[in-house]
Amino acid sequence: MPRPVAIIGCGQTKHLSRRRDVSQPELIAEAAWKAMEDANVTPDEVDAVVVGNMQGFGGVAQPDLWIGDWIGAPGKPVMRVTTGGTTGGTVAQAGYYHVASGLHNVVLAVAWEKHSDSKESGATTGLGHVGFGAQVNLFRCGMGLKGFIATSGVGMAAGVAVYQAMYYMHRSGCGIEHFDMVAAKSRRNAAKNKYAHLQWPNCTPEDIAKTEMVAYPFRYGHVCPASDGAAALVFADGNTARKRVRTPAWVKGLASITDEENQLISESGGGVGIIDSSEQMGARVAAQKAYKMAGIRDPQKEIDVAELYQPFPNQELLFAEKLGLFDEGKAWLALEKGETDIDGRLPCDPSGGVMSTNAIGAAAMLRILECALQVMGKAEEHQVPKKVNIAVAHGWGGSTNYNTVTVLGSSPD
Amino acid sequence: MPYIKEERPETLSVEGEWAYGAHVYKANTLLDEFCEGLREKKLIGALCMGCGKVIVPPRAICGRCHIRMEGRQVVSDRGTVVSYIVSPPMVKGKYKMLGMDPVELGIVKEGESLVPGHVRFDGSDSPYNLPILNARPEEVRVGMRVKVVWKEDLEGKLSDIEGVEPIRD
Repeated sequence: MPRPVAIIGCGQTKHLSRRRDVSQPELIAEAAWKAMEDANVTPDEVDAVVVGNMQGFGGVAQPDLWIGDWIGAPGKPVMRVTTGGTTGGTVAQAGYYHVASGLHNVVLAVAWEKHSDSKESGATTGLGHVGFGAQVNLFRCGMGLKGFIATSGVGMAAGVAVYQAMYYMHRSGCGIEHFDMVAAKSRRNAAKNKYAHLQWPNCTPEDIAKTEMVAYPFRYGHVCPASDGAAALVFADGNTARKRVRTPAWVKGLASITDEENQLISESGGGVGIIDSSEQMGARVAAQKAYKMAGIRDPQKEIDVAELYQPFPNQELLFAEKLGLFDEGKAWLALEKGETDIDGRLPCDPSGGVMSTNAIGAAAMLRILECALQVMGKAEEHQVPKKVNIAVAHGWGGSTNYNTVTVLGSSPD
Repeated sequence: MPYIKEERPETLSVEGEWAYGAHVYKANTLLDEFCEGLREKKLIGALCMGCGKVIVPPRAICGRCHIRMEGRQVVSDRGTVVSYIVSPPMVKGKYKMLGMDPVELGIVKEGESLVPGHVRFDGSDSPYNLPILNARPEEVRVGMRVKVVWKEDLEGKLSDIEGVEPIRD
């Protein structure tokens, strides 16, 4: 068994669509220093650093080569990890590995995205690539302009998610009104989170239902923003953790599972064997592995709060099911009853989630960070009104085929 | 909308550009084989000897079995819609795709919607992303039976498949 590891410090920046007041390293430093202060460690006490964002986002390829000076990295090993939407989750898990292996005692993990540095409208190079990258390549291989526009001209940034929503609706029986409910809940929760991007106090499903249809079944109000922001975590071994902070968030279990490429057509031009993109085998397997490691037998009863990766509303519902929080195809019934509200039986995304704050590289780390805050009791206005013993964080990305699941708890046992 | 707005003042920023996306795309070698099949209105798939799945267009290695997909199987040009989405009615100048306007290009008429779908061809185990043609958006549904609309002059290119249309017989 790996040795006990805990999160002892959390730092995040205010997320906005345009943080034109800071450069990329300044933005990253803002989160990194907050995390080190929160953990009561100095940069000298940090043994190693793990960093990551999406490749090519913000218009530059390798910011990791020049951000080190701003976060106290010189003289230490630095590793960059990037796995698409799961980047933040993978960066955090790599931070855990560094400590669990026994090679390092205190590790800083930092993830970020600064979309506004890219001059491309709306999405960035990378997001467009995830959305319709394979189609662009096939267009070049003779797909023809007509076929390309007719398949890729719809949905745009929503890309594969909008088809996934249709699969989920057909399979579970939920309707667009449930997507409105998830979106409204996320905006309301975000209004309680001072770092969140799209904050809308008292937002109702009716408010969301009034927004324009982007691509059926998605409305404008269902789509996540592109945010500038950064997140940082400090991981420490058990002894250090107990000495430095009053309530560490213990990493009880984690897993990362990759499935086969899962976006309509393979990047290499072949077909893919997954018909239903809401199937997400990786999320289910990752959850079961992480729960086993954490000693969780019944996730529906034992988990107190969940932070799911949900840039689009259907994903909160389907991933809650894949993580075993609700029975298959039944999450929308729990949503109707208010069970996933901030004061519900099993709150989902009390921070507002990715729907409200989406600095892509940081988004999956923010899920873990928000779970840590809930366990530590430091989530302030969006703290769930009950004792949090177990929290589960999820990340989703890659070619929609990567999943990370991380279980945090209030005690190491 | 009643979102809480916050803007930060902009400090020195300079615009620039580099040919970041310029590259040569290398297709899967099996794509040539698939395109040749299209010339004869054949949809060629790869058969996995491990799990029996047929993937269209063919791919080299099964994503779940991790073995070479050495078998070949021609699948039907009829299939079932397994997912679809509907665009808002297209208006000239309002929606652009890589700087191109679908209405201006004559791909869709003003006021009409684009309806791309995922089609599972009979005999295959993979979704194929194609436009659903000659159908009213409100009649499209998951489970609808469709067939390929072939281009008149087949060239052995991906564009030989124009899309799918409902089977009305």
